Amino acid sequence: MKRLHNTLYLLILLILSGCCSPKNVFVLLPDQDGEVGEIAVSNKEGSVTINTAGATISTTGKNAPKEVRPLSKKKFQKLFANALAIEPLQPQSFLLYFKSSTTDLQESSKQLLQEVIKAIKQRNSLDISIIGHADRTGSKSYNITLSTKRAKQVSDLLVNMGINPQYLFVDSHGEGNPLIPTADNISEPKNRRVEIIVK
Amino acid sequence: MYKILISTLLLLTVTVPSYATNFAGSIKNLEGQVYVKRNSADIPGDKGMKIYIKDTVWTGSDGSVSIILLDNTIFSLGPDSELALDEFIYEPANKHFSMLVRMMKGTFVYLSGVIGKLSPESINIVTPVGTISVRGTRFAAQVAPNQMTINNSPATTNSTE
Repeated sequence: MKRLHNTLYLLILLILSGCCSPKNVFVLLPDQDGEVGEIAVSNKEGSVTINTAGATISTTGKNAPKEVRPLSKKKFQKLFANALAIEPLQPQSFLLYFKSSTTDLQESSKQLLQEVIKAIKQRNSLDISIIGHADRTGSKSYNITLSTKRAKQVSDLLVNMGINPQYLFVDSHGEGNPLIPTADNISEPKNRRVEIIVK
Repeated sequence: MYKILISTLLLLTVTVPSYATNFAGSIKNLEGQVYVKRNSADIPGDKGMKIYIKDTVWTGSDGSVSIILLDNTIFSLGPDSELALDEFIYEPANKHFSMLVRMMKGTFVYLSGVIGKLSPESINIVTPVGTISVRGTRFAAQVAPNQMTINNSPATTNSTE
């Protein structure tokens, strides 16, 4: 008797919650910069690919995945509001360039620091990587020292602009990780850089 | 002889961690009940908490959490959700990439990182009803808890009360 009761209760619950609406849904969304990629959902029964924003796939797992009518805006919001609200902005990278053999920033890179501060504030970032690099002018060990100094210089500038040093992670790669690979002792402005990654 | 031994040991301590480390990312934002299951213990989640390979991140009925992996892939979880990170390799210098993630139940938003751009075929996102493959993208997913989970949940609730 109790079991029957439970079954009835479950049935009512199912009807109230909309028993026949799809339970497993996959909705393609635009990236944070507005571009739309592609997803495919596959199982033993088949596979389907979607490539337009809002396109929706559903499957029970026992049938082949298929494209279905997109959820209403209201329903989509109801389902995903919490996950969307907690989604952070994607980490942002910056490249700052230096004058040859110095820790002096190029003028345009100095101005970029304001953008870095903005990105840190937007994200409430507690994780900011600063990685120094050098080109291949001079010896390897000289370039390790130089790239370390460059990273330290950028770190100091950010601290002066009010960023908590606790959240800055400073590292340097010397001449070993060039943007543009060159032969030894070649001056390459694009490799004289500090990369900042704001997570 | 000792010198060789010592330098070999030094070399090991210096080089091994960068390959053997299981560090895969960290918690960015969270709200409500959020736990990380690690070696069968449930650790309460926290801002900035490190996530390792083999961790399962799960949320309670009022929980939500976002995780940023080392390659900038982002997983955001709504309430009553569970995500297991089975495999993660991110070695851009060797062009060696792998990601195997299980969305076990709940609601998710996935956003591609560097692996999604450089090597989307290395990404496997598995759900109980099918496998998702991506090409540089963002998507939302709802995965219904399976029948087993529904039947089991009242029992677990009773035992903890």
